[in-house]
Amino acid sequence: MPNLKELKNRISSVKSTRKITSAMKMVAASKLRRAQELAESSRVYADSLSFILSSLAGNTKNSSDLPEILTGRENSKISLLIINSSDRGLCGGFNSNLFRNAKKWISDQQGQGKSVKIMTVGKKASSFYKKTDLDIVASFEDLNSNDRQLQVSEEIKNKILELFESNEIDEVSILFNKFVSAISQEPTYQSLIPLSNEETIEDESEVNNAVFEFEPDKNELLEYLVPRNFLTQIYRSVLESSASEHAARMTSMDNATRNAGDMIDRLTLTYNRTRQAFITKELIEIISGAEAV
Amino acid sequence: MINLKVVSPQKVIFEKEVEMAVLPGAEGDFAAMPNHSPFISSLRPGQMAIMSSNKVDESFFVSGGLVMLKEKVCEVLVDQIEPLSDVNSSNYQQSKTYQELEGNETALGTFEQVVNNPPYK
Repeated sequence: MPNLKELKNRISSVKSTRKITSAMKMVAASKLRRAQELAESSRVYADSLSFILSSLAGNTKNSSDLPEILTGRENSKISLLIINSSDRGLCGGFNSNLFRNAKKWISDQQGQGKSVKIMTVGKKASSFYKKTDLDIVASFEDLNSNDRQLQVSEEIKNKILELFESNEIDEVSILFNKFVSAISQEPTYQSLIPLSNEETIEDESEVNNAVFEFEPDKNELLEYLVPRNFLTQIYRSVLESSASEHAARMTSMDNATRNAGDMIDRLTLTYNRTRQAFITKELIEIISGAEAV
Repeated sequence: MINLKVVSPQKVIFEKEVEMAVLPGAEGDFAAMPNHSPFISSLRPGQMAIMSSNKVDESFFVSGGLVMLKEKVCEVLVDQIEPLSDVNSSNYQQSKTYQELEGNETALGTFEQVVNNPPYK
């Protein structure tokens, strides 16, 4: 028969776990709201920038006139993958989904005869990939404030440009959990080098209508625009990832709270049954004792 | 009137109808007015002035960025922006913009110049 004292301790410990998880859920919900706002308000800039970039690129008829950093190198050999994870755990499948996805991508690339380098964002990714034999070019941690997110994006951008110029990488992709809704996040790849032309095509009709004059000339403008665009795309992915992280944490903590509630119910039931069984047993003992006299 | 939209990487700073906006283009200042030919330019550090009937209504320091000018819309993508009404020659070194431009001597020099003696007043 289970020990009553033990059960009682168990119940109170599950209760305090429930308190923690429900508090975490609340915190995640309020952080989510902020992160979502940030992600949405940064979209305006990113959209305008990619519009400008696509009208510039669309304006140049011969793609060989465009710099390598936009079109990518022929025969690219080395891909860099930037993985946006979280700094903290307790957010459900947020990180493990991402890593599983990345693993597939990496073996795909290796299947095509490319070697893969990794850049990690967030503590979880850096501790995960330290254990693998992949080449980690840089790790960034502690993205706990918006200023820091911007700063890290800037550092990543500089690092990419440096690596690309020294021919250490030929392609750059970025992997992050895209924020779809509070209950769904989707691991998403975005290619930085070569520039993915999804948006370019989307805006084509509009681009053709307006023929822009450029000042200074196109090449100088591109020189300014390309790093800007990297920064914006990276920053955007960081923000999306942070919104997704909070959303994932919110749902997983909600589940945890519910599970703790169920567990408390079950344990309380067992506790009461055991208590009753003890009372019955004691009564039987008393009665049979009295009968024997 | 032209729709002036000023956007930083983090957020939309403001969006409003103005008569004319003077911007520090990379190759010289230019005025954004309705029916300007479509035009994309980068910005150098300098003063952005919103004007009506030849008077400066509002004035800002921008550290650089891009501008896209269409018939009725002027979109300014700025790196850093500081309203000049918030800063004067004694406190501009404490401003956020100043701190963020640390190390960028040209931009800081221009900032100082714009604060003390803006080209458009």
